[in-house]
Amino acid sequence: MTVATQRQGGGYVERGGGGSSSLADVVELILDKGLVIDVFVRVSLVGIEILTIDARIVVASVDTFLRFAEATNRLDLYGKGKGGKDLTELVEGVTEGGARGKTTGMLDAAVDKVGDMLGGGREEREPEREEAPRRRPARQRAREREE
Amino acid sequence: MSATYVYGLVGADARLPEDLKGLGPSGRVSTIAHGEVAAIVGDVPVDRPIGTRDDLLAHEAVVDAVAATTAVLPMRFPAVVESDGVVEELIAPHHDHFVDVLDALDGKVQFTLKGRYEQDVVLAELVEEDPEIRALQEKVRELPEDASYYDRVRLGELVVTALEERRDDEGERLVQRLEPFAAEVVAHRPGQPDDVVNAAFLVERARIGEFEDAVEDTGRDLAGRVRLRLLGPLAPYDFVPEG
Repeated sequence: MTVATQRQGGGYVERGGGGSSSLADVVELILDKGLVIDVFVRVSLVGIEILTIDARIVVASVDTFLRFAEATNRLDLYGKGKGGKDLTELVEGVTEGGARGKTTGMLDAAVDKVGDMLGGGREEREPEREEAPRRRPARQRAREREE
Repeated sequence: MSATYVYGLVGADARLPEDLKGLGPSGRVSTIAHGEVAAIVGDVPVDRPIGTRDDLLAHEAVVDAVAATTAVLPMRFPAVVESDGVVEELIAPHHDHFVDVLDALDGKVQFTLKGRYEQDVVLAELVEEDPEIRALQEKVRELPEDASYYDRVRLGELVVTALEERRDDEGERLVQRLEPFAAEVVAHRPGQPDDVVNAAFLVERARIGEFEDAVEDTGRDLAGRVRLRLLGPLAPYDFVPEG
Protein backbone atom coordinates (compact mmCIF):
# COMPACT_ATOMS: atom_id res chain seq x y z
CA MET A 1 0.00 0.00 0.00
CA THR A 2 2.01 2.88 1.29
CA VAL A 3 5.17 1.16 0.15
CA ALA A 4 4.23 2.01 -3.41
CA THR A 5 4.24 5.70 -2.63
CA GLN A 6 7.67 5.62 -1.06
CA ARG A 7 10.47 6.85 -3.18
CA GLN A 8 13.47 4.60 -3.51
CA GLY A 9 15.94 7.46 -3.65
CA GLY A 10 19.60 6.65 -3.77
CA GLY A 11 19.10 3.69 -1.46
CA TYR A 12 21.37 4.80 1.39
CA VAL A 13 18.50 4.52 3.86
CA GLU A 14 16.51 1.37 4.42
CA ARG A 15 12.76 1.95 4.44
CA GLY A 16 9.98 0.37 6.46
CA GLY A 17 6.72 1.09 8.21
CA GLY A 18 3.23 1.68 6.92
CA GLY A 19 2.24 -1.95 7.27
CA SER A 20 5.57 -3.36 6.18
CA SER A 21 7.38 -3.15 9.51
CA SER A 22 9.00 -6.03 11.31
CA LEU A 23 7.58 -7.27 14.59
CA ALA A 24 10.56 -5.75 16.39
CA ASP A 25 9.82 -2.34 14.92
CA VAL A 26 6.12 -2.58 15.66
CA VAL A 27 6.69 -3.61 19.27
CA GLU A 28 9.04 -0.71 19.82
CA LEU A 29 6.88 1.70 17.89
CA ILE A 30 3.45 1.20 19.35
CA LEU A 31 3.54 -0.60 22.70
CA ASP A 32 2.86 1.76 25.58
CA LYS A 33 2.05 4.56 23.16
CA GLY A 34 -1.23 5.99 21.98
CA LEU A 35 -4.30 7.38 23.62
CA VAL A 36 -5.49 5.87 26.89
CA ILE A 37 -8.73 6.81 28.53
CA ASP A 38 -10.49 5.36 31.52
CA VAL A 39 -13.18 3.63 29.47
CA PHE A 40 -10.70 0.87 28.58
CA VAL A 41 -10.22 -0.05 32.19
CA ARG A 42 -13.75 -1.38 32.32
CA VAL A 43 -13.18 -3.88 29.58
CA SER A 44 -13.22 -6.76 32.04
CA LEU A 45 -16.93 -6.09 32.36
CA VAL A 46 -17.34 -7.22 28.78
CA GLY A 47 -15.73 -10.54 29.59
CA ILE A 48 -12.86 -10.18 27.14
CA GLU A 49 -9.51 -11.42 28.28
CA ILE A 50 -6.63 -9.16 27.40
CA LEU A 51 -3.07 -10.34 27.44
CA THR A 52 -0.67 -8.13 29.27
CA ILE A 53 2.41 -7.37 27.31
CA ASP A 54 5.56 -6.18 28.89
CA ALA A 55 7.95 -5.31 26.13
CA ARG A 56 10.68 -3.90 28.26
CA ILE A 57 13.80 -5.65 27.15
CA VAL A 58 16.29 -5.92 29.92
CA VAL A 59 19.75 -7.04 29.03
CA ALA A 60 22.03 -7.81 31.93
CA SER A 61 24.92 -5.40 31.72
CA VAL A 62 27.63 -8.01 32.21
CA ASP A 63 26.26 -9.93 29.24
CA THR A 64 26.32 -6.76 27.19
CA PHE A 65 29.90 -6.08 28.23
CA LEU A 66 30.99 -9.58 27.32
CA ARG A 67 29.33 -9.36 23.93
CA PHE A 68 31.12 -6.16 23.09
CA ALA A 69 34.40 -7.44 24.49
CA GLU A 70 34.04 -10.42 22.18
CA ALA A 71 33.23 -8.20 19.21
CA THR A 72 36.27 -6.06 19.98
CA ASN A 73 38.53 -9.07 20.34
CA ARG A 74 37.33 -10.42 17.04
CA LEU A 75 38.72 -7.29 15.42
CA ASP A 76 42.09 -8.14 16.80
CA LEU A 77 42.28 -11.45 14.97
CA TYR A 78 42.49 -9.48 11.77
CA GLY A 79 44.50 -6.58 13.14
CA LYS A 80 47.23 -8.86 14.43
CA GLY A 81 50.45 -8.71 12.49
CA LYS A 82 49.57 -5.28 11.26
CA GLY A 83 50.29 -3.76 14.60
CA GLY A 84 46.63 -2.91 14.91
CA LYS A 85 47.54 0.51 13.57
CA ASP A 86 46.35 0.59 10.03
CA LEU A 87 42.69 1.32 10.40
CA THR A 88 41.89 0.82 6.74
CA GLU A 89 43.52 -2.58 6.57
CA LEU A 90 42.00 -3.53 9.86
CA VAL A 91 38.52 -2.63 8.74
CA GLU A 92 38.89 -4.29 5.37
CA GLY A 93 40.23 -7.42 6.98
CA VAL A 94 37.33 -7.63 9.34
CA THR A 95 34.77 -7.00 6.68
CA GLU A 96 36.23 -9.56 4.35
CA GLY A 97 36.56 -12.02 7.17
CA GLY A 98 32.85 -11.87 7.59
CA ALA A 99 33.16 -12.25 11.34
CA ARG A 100 30.54 -9.72 12.12
CA GLY A 101 27.13 -9.11 13.47
CA LYS A 102 27.54 -11.39 16.45
CA THR A 103 26.22 -8.92 18.93
CA THR A 104 23.25 -7.94 16.85
CA GLY A 105 21.43 -11.12 17.69
CA MET A 106 20.47 -10.04 21.17
CA LEU A 107 17.54 -7.81 20.38
CA ASP A 108 16.26 -10.32 17.88
CA ALA A 109 16.36 -12.99 20.55
CA ALA A 110 14.53 -10.73 22.97
CA VAL A 111 11.95 -9.99 20.33
CA ASP A 112 11.48 -13.69 19.76
CA LYS A 113 10.63 -13.84 23.41
CA VAL A 114 8.15 -11.02 23.08
CA GLY A 115 6.80 -12.78 20.02
CA ASP A 116 6.29 -15.90 22.09
CA MET A 117 4.48 -13.89 24.72
CA LEU A 118 2.32 -12.35 22.06
CA GLY A 119 1.43 -15.83 20.96
CA GLY A 120 2.53 -17.57 17.79
CA GLY A 121 -0.06 -17.25 15.09
CA ARG A 122 0.66 -16.64 11.46
CA GLU A 123 4.21 -15.67 10.76
CA GLU A 124 3.86 -13.88 7.48
CA ARG A 125 6.25 -11.10 8.44
CA GLU A 126 8.80 -13.46 9.89
CA PRO A 127 11.44 -13.03 7.18
CA GLU A 128 11.79 -9.35 8.13
CA ARG A 129 13.19 -10.36 11.45
CA GLU A 130 16.05 -12.40 10.15
CA GLU A 131 19.44 -10.93 10.54
CA ALA A 132 20.68 -11.34 7.01
CA PRO A 133 18.25 -9.01 5.21
CA ARG A 134 18.76 -6.32 7.80
CA ARG A 135 22.51 -6.43 7.33
CA ARG A 136 22.37 -6.28 3.59
CA PRO A 137 23.03 -2.96 1.90
CA ALA A 138 19.88 -0.96 1.28
CA ARG A 139 20.69 -0.73 -2.38
CA GLN A 140 20.67 -4.48 -2.73
CA ARG A 141 17.29 -4.68 -1.04
CA ALA A 142 15.84 -2.04 -3.31
CA ARG A 143 17.07 -3.95 -6.33
CA GLU A 144 15.46 -7.12 -5.12
CA ARG A 145 12.16 -5.39 -4.64
CA GLU A 146 12.19 -4.21 -8.20
CA GLU A 147 12.78 -7.68 -9.55
CA MET B 1 -22.97 -7.41 26.02
CA SER B 2 -20.62 -7.24 23.07
CA ALA B 3 -17.24 -5.66 22.63
CA THR B 4 -15.77 -3.39 19.98
CA TYR B 5 -12.15 -2.90 19.12
CA VAL B 6 -11.06 0.71 18.67
CA TYR B 7 -7.99 1.37 16.49
CA GLY B 8 -7.99 5.11 16.73
CA LEU B 9 -9.88 8.32 16.11
CA VAL B 10 -10.24 10.43 12.98
CA GLY B 11 -12.26 13.45 11.90
CA ALA B 12 -15.88 12.55 11.15
CA ASP B 13 -15.39 13.47 7.49
CA ALA B 14 -12.31 11.29 7.03
CA ARG B 15 -12.45 8.50 4.47
CA LEU B 16 -10.73 5.23 5.34
CA PRO B 17 -8.65 3.29 2.81
CA GLU B 18 -10.70 0.44 1.40
CA ASP B 19 -8.35 -2.50 1.91
CA LEU B 20 -8.04 -2.36 5.69
CA LYS B 21 -7.92 -5.72 7.45
CA GLY B 22 -8.80 -5.70 11.13
CA LEU B 23 -7.92 -8.16 13.88
CA GLY B 24 -11.46 -9.44 14.43
CA PRO B 25 -12.95 -12.61 12.91
CA SER B 26 -14.68 -10.61 10.16
CA GLY B 27 -11.59 -8.54 9.43
CA ARG B 28 -13.88 -5.58 8.78
CA VAL B 29 -12.93 -2.08 9.79
CA SER B 30 -15.46 0.74 9.85
CA THR B 31 -16.17 4.00 11.64
CA ILE B 32 -18.66 5.20 14.21
CA ALA B 33 -19.07 8.97 14.07
CA HIS B 34 -20.34 11.37 16.65
CA GLY B 35 -20.18 15.11 16.10
CA GLU B 36 -16.86 15.94 14.44
CA VAL B 37 -15.05 12.77 15.59
CA ALA B 38 -15.20 9.19 14.35
CA ALA B 39 -13.81 6.05 15.99
CA ILE B 40 -12.14 3.49 13.72
CA VAL B 41 -13.68 0.25 14.95
CA GLY B 42 -13.88 -3.45 14.25
CA ASP B 43 -15.06 -6.67 15.84
CA VAL B 44 -13.16 -8.55 18.52
CA PRO B 45 -12.12 -12.20 18.63
CA VAL B 46 -14.34 -13.93 21.18
CA ASP B 47 -12.79 -17.38 21.28
CA ARG B 48 -9.35 -16.34 22.44
CA PRO B 49 -7.65 -13.65 24.52
CA ILE B 50 -6.82 -10.52 22.59
CA GLY B 51 -3.29 -9.16 22.37
CA THR B 52 -1.41 -11.67 20.21
CA ARG B 53 1.40 -10.90 17.82
CA ASP B 54 -1.03 -10.86 14.90
CA ASP B 55 -3.37 -8.54 16.80
CA LEU B 56 -0.48 -6.16 17.34
CA LEU B 57 0.56 -6.22 13.69
CA ALA B 58 -3.05 -5.80 12.53
CA HIS B 59 -3.54 -2.82 14.85
CA GLU B 60 -0.41 -1.16 13.49
CA ALA B 61 -1.25 -1.92 9.87
CA VAL B 62 -4.74 -0.40 10.19
CA VAL B 63 -3.64 2.69 12.08
CA ASP B 64 -0.67 3.40 9.81
CA ALA B 65 -2.65 2.79 6.61
CA VAL B 66 -5.16 5.38 7.81
CA ALA B 67 -2.32 7.70 8.82
CA ALA B 68 -0.95 7.60 5.30
CA THR B 69 -3.88 9.68 4.08
CA THR B 70 -5.49 11.37 7.07
CA ALA B 71 -4.81 12.59 10.60
CA VAL B 72 -5.39 9.80 13.10
CA LEU B 73 -5.15 9.65 16.86
CA PRO B 74 -4.00 6.11 17.63
CA MET B 75 -5.38 4.22 20.61
CA ARG B 76 -3.01 2.41 22.87
CA PHE B 77 -2.93 -1.27 21.96
CA PRO B 78 -5.07 -3.21 22.73
CA ALA B 79 -8.19 -1.05 23.07
CA VAL B 80 -11.54 -2.74 23.60
CA VAL B 81 -14.72 -1.04 24.71
CA GLU B 82 -18.30 -2.10 25.19
CA SER B 83 -20.04 -1.69 21.86
CA ASP B 84 -22.69 0.54 23.40
CA GLY B 85 -20.02 2.75 24.88
CA VAL B 86 -18.19 3.87 21.75
CA VAL B 87 -20.23 7.04 21.42
CA GLU B 88 -21.51 7.56 24.94
CA GLU B 89 -18.38 6.69 26.89
CA LEU B 90 -15.52 7.16 24.47
CA ILE B 91 -16.30 9.98 22.07
CA ALA B 92 -19.02 12.13 23.66
CA PRO B 93 -17.32 12.89 27.00
CA HIS B 94 -14.00 13.77 25.28
CA HIS B 95 -15.32 15.17 22.02
CA ASP B 96 -13.84 18.66 22.20
CA HIS B 97 -10.47 17.41 23.40
CA PHE B 98 -10.30 14.91 20.53
CA VAL B 99 -11.20 17.66 18.05
CA ASP B 100 -8.37 19.85 19.38
CA VAL B 101 -5.82 17.04 19.20
CA LEU B 102 -6.89 16.00 15.68
CA ASP B 103 -6.69 19.64 14.58
CA ALA B 104 -3.17 19.89 15.94
CA LEU B 105 -2.12 16.71 14.12
CA ASP B 106 -3.90 17.60 10.90
CA GLY B 107 -1.63 17.56 7.87
CA LYS B 108 1.25 15.97 9.78
CA VAL B 109 2.62 12.46 9.88
CA GLN B 110 5.28 10.68 11.90
CA PHE B 111 8.53 9.22 10.68
CA THR B 112 10.76 7.21 12.98
CA LEU B 113 14.46 7.16 12.24
CA LYS B 114 16.71 4.44 13.58
CA GLY B 115 20.43 4.17 13.11
CA ARG B 116 23.00 1.59 14.06
CA TYR B 117 26.75 1.73 13.85
CA GLU B 118 28.55 -0.53 11.46
CA GLN B 119 29.91 -2.33 14.45
CA ASP B 120 33.30 -3.44 13.16
CA VAL B 121 34.11 -0.01 11.77
CA VAL B 122 33.33 1.87 14.96
CA LEU B 123 34.87 -0.73 17.29
CA ALA B 124 38.06 -0.47 15.23
CA GLU B 125 38.00 3.29 15.74
CA LEU B 126 37.68 2.85 19.49
CA VAL B 127 40.57 0.40 19.65
CA GLU B 128 42.64 2.75 17.55
CA GLU B 129 41.88 5.86 19.56
CA ASP B 130 41.66 4.67 23.16
CA PRO B 131 44.95 3.44 24.68
CA GLU B 132 43.20 1.83 27.65
CA ILE B 133 40.91 -0.22 25.44
CA ARG B 134 43.82 -1.23 23.22
CA ALA B 135 45.97 -2.25 26.20
CA LEU B 136 43.19 -4.28 27.75
CA GLN B 137 42.35 -5.91 24.46
CA GLU B 138 45.99 -6.99 24.05
CA LYS B 139 46.06 -8.32 27.60
CA VAL B 140 42.86 -10.32 27.14
CA ARG B 141 44.25 -11.78 23.95
CA GLU B 142 47.21 -13.30 25.82
CA LEU B 143 45.09 -14.98 28.47
CA PRO B 144 43.00 -18.14 28.31
CA GLU B 145 39.28 -17.46 28.41
CA ASP B 146 38.79 -18.60 32.03
CA ALA B 147 41.55 -16.35 33.31
CA SER B 148 40.43 -13.29 31.40
CA TYR B 149 36.83 -13.11 32.58
CA TYR B 150 37.12 -9.95 34.65
CA ASP B 151 39.34 -8.27 32.10
CA ARG B 152 36.84 -9.09 29.39
CA VAL B 153 34.00 -7.63 31.45
CA ARG B 154 36.10 -4.51 32.02
CA LEU B 155 37.01 -4.31 28.33
CA GLY B 156 33.37 -4.64 27.36
CA GLU B 157 32.39 -1.99 29.88
CA LEU B 158 34.97 0.43 28.47
CA VAL B 159 33.84 -0.29 24.92
CA VAL B 160 30.16 0.12 25.78
CA THR B 161 30.81 3.37 27.64
CA ALA B 162 32.89 4.74 24.77
CA LEU B 163 30.28 3.65 22.23
CA GLU B 164 27.48 5.31 24.18
CA GLU B 165 29.45 8.55 24.54
CA ARG B 166 30.12 8.56 20.84
CA ARG B 167 26.56 7.83 19.83
CA ASP B 168 25.05 10.32 22.28
CA ASP B 169 27.09 12.96 20.54
CA GLU B 170 26.62 11.73 16.96
CA GLY B 171 22.96 10.88 17.53
CA GLU B 172 22.26 14.37 18.79
CA ARG B 173 23.97 15.95 15.81
CA LEU B 174 22.03 13.66 13.49
CA VAL B 175 18.71 14.73 15.04
CA GLN B 176 19.76 18.38 14.90
CA ARG B 177 20.52 18.07 11.24
CA LEU B 178 17.00 16.81 10.48
CA GLU B 179 15.12 18.92 13.01
CA PRO B 180 14.60 21.87 10.62
CA PHE B 181 12.51 19.61 8.37
CA ALA B 182 10.09 18.57 11.13
CA ALA B 183 7.38 20.31 13.14
CA GLU B 184 8.28 18.38 16.27
CA VAL B 185 10.90 15.84 17.32
CA VAL B 186 10.99 13.25 20.10
CA ALA B 187 14.37 11.58 20.58
CA HIS B 188 14.32 8.29 22.45
CA ARG B 189 17.34 6.78 24.11
CA PRO B 190 18.54 4.04 21.73
CA GLY B 191 18.25 0.51 23.09
CA GLN B 192 21.61 -1.07 22.33
CA PRO B 193 25.05 0.48 22.83
CA ASP B 194 25.71 0.47 19.08
CA ASP B 195 22.35 2.04 18.23
CA VAL B 196 23.04 5.63 17.27
CA VAL B 197 19.61 7.14 17.03
CA ASN B 198 15.93 6.37 17.63
CA ALA B 199 13.93 9.51 17.02
CA ALA B 200 10.38 10.34 15.96
CA PHE B 201 9.80 13.27 13.62
CA LEU B 202 6.40 14.87 13.11
CA VAL B 203 6.54 16.04 9.51
CA GLU B 204 4.11 18.18 7.56
CA ARG B 205 2.74 16.21 4.64
CA ALA B 206 3.74 18.98 2.25
CA ARG B 207 7.36 18.60 3.40
CA ILE B 208 7.63 14.79 3.35
CA GLY B 209 9.72 14.79 0.18
CA GLU B 210 12.06 17.41 1.59
CA PHE B 211 12.41 15.45 4.83
CA GLU B 212 13.06 12.17 3.01
CA ASP B 213 15.70 13.83 0.85
CA ALA B 214 17.40 15.19 3.96
CA VAL B 215 17.41 11.72 5.55
CA GLU B 216 18.79 10.24 2.35
CA ASP B 217 21.57 12.86 2.24
CA THR B 218 22.38 12.08 5.86
CA GLY B 219 22.45 8.37 5.07
CA ARG B 220 24.85 8.98 2.21
CA ASP B 221 27.16 11.04 4.40
CA LEU B 222 27.19 8.34 7.07
CA ALA B 223 27.43 5.37 4.70
CA GLY B 224 29.93 2.78 5.83
CA ARG B 225 29.73 3.98 9.43
CA VAL B 226 26.05 4.21 10.36
CA ARG B 227 23.18 2.30 8.82
CA LEU B 228 19.96 4.32 8.84
CA ARG B 229 16.45 2.96 8.70
CA LEU B 230 13.42 5.19 8.18
CA LEU B 231 9.95 3.97 9.20
CA GLY B 232 6.93 5.79 7.88
CA PRO B 233 4.72 7.50 7.16
CA LEU B 234 3.25 6.41 10.50
CA ALA B 235 0.51 7.49 12.85
CA PRO B 236 1.78 10.07 15.36
CA TYR B 237 2.42 7.52 18.12
CA ASP B 238 5.02 9.69 19.81
CA PHE B 239 2.98 12.86 19.59
CA VAL B 240 -0.23 11.82 21.32
CA PRO B 241 -0.78 14.26 24.19
CA GLU B 242 -1.08 12.80 27.67
CA GLY B 243 -4.53 12.64 29.23
